[in-house]
Amino acid sequence: MMLFLENVNLALTAIKTNKMRSFLTMLGIIIGISSVIAITSIGASAKGAVTAEFEAMGSSYLYIMPNWEMMNTDDFSMNDFFTSEDINALKARFPEMIKYAVPYVSGSSATKVGRTDANLSILGVGANYDDYNKTLLMQSGRMILDSDIRGRKNVIVIQDKMAVRLFGSKDAALKKEVPVTLNGEQTDATVIGVFEEKESAFAGLATSNTYKCYMPYSTVLPAGEEYFNYIEIYCDPDTDIAAQGKSFTGYLENVKGKDEGFYTFESAESQMEMINKVLGILSIAIGAIAAISLLVGGIGIMNIMLVSVTERTREIGIRKSLGARTKDILTQFLIEAMILSVIGGGIGTLFGIGIGKIGMIVAGTQGIHMSLVIEPLTIIIAVLFSAGVGLFFGLFPAKKAAKLDPIEALRFE
Amino acid sequence: MEVIKVCNLEKIYKNGNIEVKALKGVNLTIHQGEFVAIMGASGSGKSTLMNVLGCLDKPSSGNYYLDGEDVSRLRDDELSYIRNRKIGFVFQSFNLIPRTSALKNVELPMVYGRTAKQERRKRAISLLTDVGLGDRYNHMPNEISGGQKQRVAIARALANEPPIILADEPTGNLDSKSSVEIMEIFTDLNRNRGNTVIIVTHEPDIAEFTDRVITFRDGNIIKDELTGRGVASGFYGEVSGK
Ligand SMILES: Nc1ncnc2c1ncn2[C@@H]1O[C@H](COP(=O)(O)OP(=O)(O)O)[C@@H](O)[C@H]1O
Ligand SMILES: [Mg+2]
Repeated sequence: MMLFLENVNLALTAIKTNKMRSFLTMLGIIIGISSVIAITSIGASAKGAVTAEFEAMGSSYLYIMPNWEMMNTDDFSMNDFFTSEDINALKARFPEMIKYAVPYVSGSSATKVGRTDANLSILGVGANYDDYNKTLLMQSGRMILDSDIRGRKNVIVIQDKMAVRLFGSKDAALKKEVPVTLNGEQTDATVIGVFEEKESAFAGLATSNTYKCYMPYSTVLPAGEEYFNYIEIYCDPDTDIAAQGKSFTGYLENVKGKDEGFYTFESAESQMEMINKVLGILSIAIGAIAAISLLVGGIGIMNIMLVSVTERTREIGIRKSLGARTKDILTQFLIEAMILSVIGGGIGTLFGIGIGKIGMIVAGTQGIHMSLVIEPLTIIIAVLFSAGVGLFFGLFPAKKAAKLDPIEALRFE
Repeated sequence: MEVIKVCNLEKIYKNGNIEVKALKGVNLTIHQGEFVAIMGASGSGKSTLMNVLGCLDKPSSGNYYLDGEDVSRLRDDELSYIRNRKIGFVFQSFNLIPRTSALKNVELPMVYGRTAKQERRKRAISLLTDVGLGDRYNHMPNEISGGQKQRVAIARALANEPPIILADEPTGNLDSKSSVEIMEIFTDLNRNRGNTVIIVTHEPDIAEFTDRVITFRDGNIIKDELTGRGVASGFYGEVSGK
């Protein structure tokens, strides 16, 4: 222990005497560790943001769709898609589990009120959609009702921001007409309600003059058309969504006479899995880069330690003549290599956190708001790992120093 | 008591095809408390012998008994222990560790001897005071004169109170005034503390400080006699024979 502290002091002195050289040596470790820290903390932050996002939306929904890979694109029949009857059959078969099931159709349109224009991202939904979709908060007016669906009414529920932009205020928008183009036909839709979208980390990603709005799905579908591509289902939140999805698609394949796997589904869970997978692959890729720079950093340390051993050959001889054992010299140089890389690791950690913070700021300017998650465990592992790098790459030079013959070392010029 | 005994010691240096026989079968016995000078022309093998005696180098053949123990049989760590505890080595070129204060240099053998920090510091300061450098202990080697460096080196050699002091031309790089001062320190160590002191020198004036002069030529001892001081000391009457 005594000798350990003595060695730490010696190492710090040696590092201080060669400040520039020591810094350049640490650079590889600094780059390696800072990229690991930056990536893991940005990754953890993104994961946290995504999870929060899905939790806000309620994780009990799923979309059923044909499995496009399974479909014979040359020879598909309309029967491959869904009708209202399929939805009714599903509801009848799973009355307990299905809280809400509607066709999910979408479209987009440009609009212009007076001299102000805007782009609409139109979602065709069923009645009382806001009871299930938790990101949607009604501000004034009402949501689409069953009568609107059955009557294929030309009504629209618009976002608060759009109401303010086009009509000056939320309440002023009610009962006003908004021109929309649906399936190539221009119509005027009447505003029946204004909603606010719940604050979301990714809300800013939508371009500034594109607004979400809701219309009856029957209105969004072309006249006389009864087939649609997606079914949106809200289930009992206490059930296993993945298992539910399987039984729904299985049932649909059965009643519609399709092969197993013809229909597939996507849930918050599976979407999150996919996002996490992408984040995971990204982390691995950048982790590999970090590993390479740590390797390079380690080799740098080995190189400089070899130089240092040669430069200090005479000093090693003197130490041996005064009674230093092989083990004492070995520890001295090992500790020096480790301290070099641990200091590098420490600086790298600080840099990494800095880069992560900058990343958050950059994401913020792009409309993605998240807070940096710094996992203490990552920092501990990073520092321990850099100590390990020092130990591993310091071993060879330290051994070389330790086994020097005392008289040879003393004669060294 | 025979502290040092060498029998048929040979040392051959090999540099590629060239072989240099630096020691050609040296026999020598030195008793505890002796004060010995080794003289001889440059290249006669004095340093080679000192390095073997100091356990810094190994002979090519022959035996070296230190305190009756055959040194060739010792392991690496045991040799380190001897260098640390039994022998204090003083070099012609001082061999202080650069950028390290006089105090730290003197502490070093005690660091390897695992002496506690406070104890170490106290002893190092007292040793430096003994050699007249009590006020300079914080100086770096490049901030003090040659004579002062050699005194630091002697203080360092004494750190663990080794019974044997080996000095290879300790005054070789010093002016005559400093040389005399250094020799007075060695004399004091031998006379008052009972250390066995062996010094290499080629200056007869320096050799006059000792009791016994051994002369080398071409790797052999050609002369081994007492000085005036040696005869006067009466020491060799007791040891008998010599
Ligand atoms: N490391 C070495 N390699 C080869 N020859 C050496 C080495 N050291 C000393 N010698 C040779 O050994 C002989 C004795 O040298 P040394 O013991 O240093 O003499 P001294 O100290 O008496 O001047 C000399 O001829 C010298 O050239
Ligand atoms: Mg010599």
